Order: sequence, then structure tokens, then C-alpha cells
Amino acid sequence: MGTVGEERAKNKRGLQGWLNPYHYNAERWAYMFQRVTGVAILLYVLGHLGDTSFFVGGPTGTGPSTSSWYFIGNIFENAFGHLILILVVLVLFFHGVNGIRLVFTELGLIMKKPSSIEYPYKPRSLSPAQRSLIFIGIAVAIAAAIWTFLVLFEGMG
Amino acid sequence: MKESRLMLVQYATAVMAVVLVAIHLIMQGVIYPYTTAISFDNILSIYRNGFYAVFLEVLLVVVLVHGFNGVRIILHEFRQTAPWSMWVDVGTILAIVVSVAYGTRTVILAVFGVVSA
Amino acid sequence: MTGVRLVVQRFDPFVDPKPTLEEYTIPKREGMTVLDALLYARDYMDHSIALRFSCRQASCGSCGMKINGRPRLACYTQIDELKGDRVLAQPMDNFAIIKDLVTDLDSFFSKHRQQMPYVVRSDMQELENPTREFLMKPEELEKVLQFTYCIKCGLCTSSCPTVAMDSKFPGPQALAQAYRYLMDERDEGGERRLEALDTAHGVWRCHFAGSCSFVCPKGVDPALGIQLLRRHVLSGKPPRKAGEGAKVVATTQPQK
Repeated sequence: MGTVGEERAKNKRGLQGWLNPYHYNAERWAYMFQRVTGVAILLYVLGHLGDTSFFVGGPTGTGPSTSSWYFIGNIFENAFGHLILILVVLVLFFHGVNGIRLVFTELGLIMKKPSSIEYPYKPRSLSPAQRSLIFIGIAVAIAAAIWTFLVLFEGMG
Repeated sequence: MKESRLMLVQYATAVMAVVLVAIHLIMQGVIYPYTTAISFDNILSIYRNGFYAVFLEVLLVVVLVHGFNGVRIILHEFRQTAPWSMWVDVGTILAIVVSVAYGTRTVILAVFGVVSA
Repeated sequence: MTGVRLVVQRFDPFVDPKPTLEEYTIPKREGMTVLDALLYARDYMDHSIALRFSCRQASCGSCGMKINGRPRLACYTQIDELKGDRVLAQPMDNFAIIKDLVTDLDSFFSKHRQQMPYVVRSDMQELENPTREFLMKPEELEKVLQFTYCIKCGLCTSSCPTVAMDSKFPGPQALAQAYRYLMDERDEGGERRLEALDTAHGVWRCHFAGSCSFVCPKGVDPALGIQLLRRHVLSGKPPRKAGEGAKVVATTQPQK
């Protein structure tokens, strides 16, 4: 801990730097959503481990624990539970498609080679090819969420 | 373990998770109608299918390793003191072990017939 | 003559409890840059405004600051290219504030130095008592040229979300320079460079937010360098270079 002046002088953007991509590029927005959706998916997976573990109670609680499949079903098989599932599908598909984009770009696989540059400078890393995957991810996520809505609420599939 | 190896694990689990989760979702909502897919009898029968039980176990490990490693990366950026870094690494390993163990319990109990309809 | 609403963040950390915003109305002229407006405010309205500038032509990198929420060079930003009815000038994020728009770049330069931003060679005798030039073919220069355009303005580091939290992260400028020297045909320090980058706070803490390349005024594209750098860090092997240690000899004897 420094002096009062040194503490006041610190100018780290902190969490805002992660969560506030306003004024920046599409890839920065995708970075923020990738982090947020990643944490959300992990929390869902942990909850999912919990709710699927009720299976060991058997259908009505005759198994080794007093929990039961129908018990947990009654809690989550309703409109609210289905809305959560739709949200999970939305974030899952975006995270997956954007994640594949990141695997490719971070390993330099769809990166153009460096070369001499001319004004106005257009960064080769922020290419339309990799940027389009962000928008494909959004489109796929929305399509998957719509499909999930139709399956859960309209009985399709 | 070198950070590059951990990141290789992160990339590999990412690609595997995309494939495995896609299969899981197809099983839950496309191959079987949703209401059938989540019925007790259907789930019991697919757990008793050895391949699907192994598939679920692999999915469990892949998703949890990827997820907790991701959180580890985020937490390392949060603070850079030596104790924090150490506890983040230890916490990640513990979290993976505990959650995989809990999920595996469900798979084993279902597969080996402890549960009955 | 229309006026420009220039709003400047004022803050002396050792005097003021928190930053404040002060507004100045500057008479606008065609082609006016943010630096022009700031210097007018300083020269005619408030001599106490602290700001850094030098070349006024985007060569020195001194006038980096946050303008309307985005890191830019003040000398390179025309008033007319900014949206909205006011120009908000604030110090660059992620750098400690010395006063007003002037920030402390010590840690930024120190992280750059840690990347060994010079050609590393094993033949120390030749380095200290040179008898020949180390040549570089045009196609070899092409691999690193854009990264040599860096003017160390700090805009990329200011925009980086990882730098915002992780004080051990080298930042996009240092990592881009690490790539620049790794790929330099004359360099023989590849393994040392790669080992230093393969840590929990090294190259792997970049997540390709791309803001560094988005704000870079010289087209350096640090994000490109960093993504290409990762492959080498992953393999642990420096890039293969022409010949053995790139011992390219000048065809004419150096003049004595």
C-alpha cells in the first residue's frame, strides 16, 4: 500500500476493463460475452450435476437416497425452468462457436501473414473472416434458442 | 505444469466439448422427443447402454476441466500475489476432482443397477 | 466562428481527492486536432493544464490519451472526426496519473525492456568489435516490418482488458515486440524469449480482444503478432531461420 497520493494515482480500469467494451471493436464485445457466458455455463453445469444426481433416487424415491427423479422434475419442468434452458442454449451456442473462432485465431490458423502496410492502416488480425464467426455465433445461438423454445413450449421435435 | 500445456488442454477440451455437447443436445431434443428424453425409463435405458455411459463420463470430465480451467485463468488475472495464485491453482484442482467425483457417482449408480424403475 | 466544447479531466493525485472535469470553449478552425484545442486551452485559458506532446505528427507517441472514451493520439485526432458535441480528454487508462493528462510510463517501458528488445547473438566478439554487417533480405524484413513501426505511445496497453486487471501481464506492445525480435532473422535468442513468455501471466493471458490493434495509430497490429507468437510458445521452438544462425555476410568489406 503506497501513500495516499500514490493510491489515488492508480488508474487501472479493473473489472470495467473486462465488462465494458463500449467504444471498442466487435472482438472486444465477443471477449466480454465469452467470459460472461463461460461463467454462466459453468454455473449451469454445476446445477445440472446436482439436478441429474436426483436420478439415483429412482423415480419416486426408492433408491439409495430419498431424492427422486419426479421430485426434481416437478421443480424444473415448468415455464420458468424451460426459460432457463432456452437461455442456457443461447449462451452455450454463442460460447461454442465463438470458442472455435478463438481456437483458430489464437493458434494463428486463420491469421494473415505480416507484411508491409500502407495508410489507412487496417489491422490484418481484425479480418472479416474471423469477425464473421462472431456474427455466425450470434445467429446460431438465436436459431438454437428459437428451436429450443419450439421444442419446449410447442412440443416440436 | 507449463502454462502452454494447460492452454493446450483448454483448446483440446474446447473442441471436444463442442462435439460432445452437440451430441448430448441432439440426444435430448432431436433423437428422442424432449418429454421422452427426460423420462426416467428412457434415461435408465441409455445409462445401461455402456457406450452412452462412457460418453457421459467423458463429457463430464471435458466440460468440467474446460470450465474450471477457464475460471482459473480469470482468477489469475484478478490478483497476482503468490498466495492467491497458489490457492487458485489448488482450488481449481479440488473443484475439478470433487465435481467429477459427484457426477461419476450418478453415472456409476445408474449404470450398475442400484437404481430401479 | 463556432466553438469546440473541450472537457478536460483535471487531477493532481497528491492534492485533489478525486478527478474533476473542467470545460473550455475553444474557437474552432478547420483541421483542428484535439492537441491544438488542448494547447489553446493551456496557452490562453488555463496555464495549469498538464499534457505531454512533442512531434505533433504521430511520430513520437507522447500525446496518447483517452479522447471520447477511446485511447487516441491527440495530435492525430481531428475534432471533426469525433462524434457528439463535446471533446472529452482524459488520461490513458491503466497508467498511473502524474497530473491531468500526463501518465507514468515507467512500468510500460520496463515491460518492454524485459522482452530484450534488441538482437541477441551468441558471437559477442563480433557484436563488440564488428567486422561485418548483419544483413536482412527484403522478404525477411517483410516478416517484422509492421511491428517495427511501434512508437511506444501506450494506446494499445491502455485499451487492453487484461492489462486492466493483471499487473504482471507484459501488455500488447511488449508482446508484439517480443514477436518482432523472435522473427528477426539476425536474432539467436529465440529460446530465451519463448521461455520467458510461457508463464501464467505471459502470452497466454491475451484473449484476442483485439482492442490493441483497433486503437494502434501506426498499423502495428499487435494482436496479429501475439496470435502468431503463441504457436512458437506452444512448441517451445523458435522459428527456423535461413542458414545457420543467419550468418549473412556482407559482400563488400566494411570501410576502415
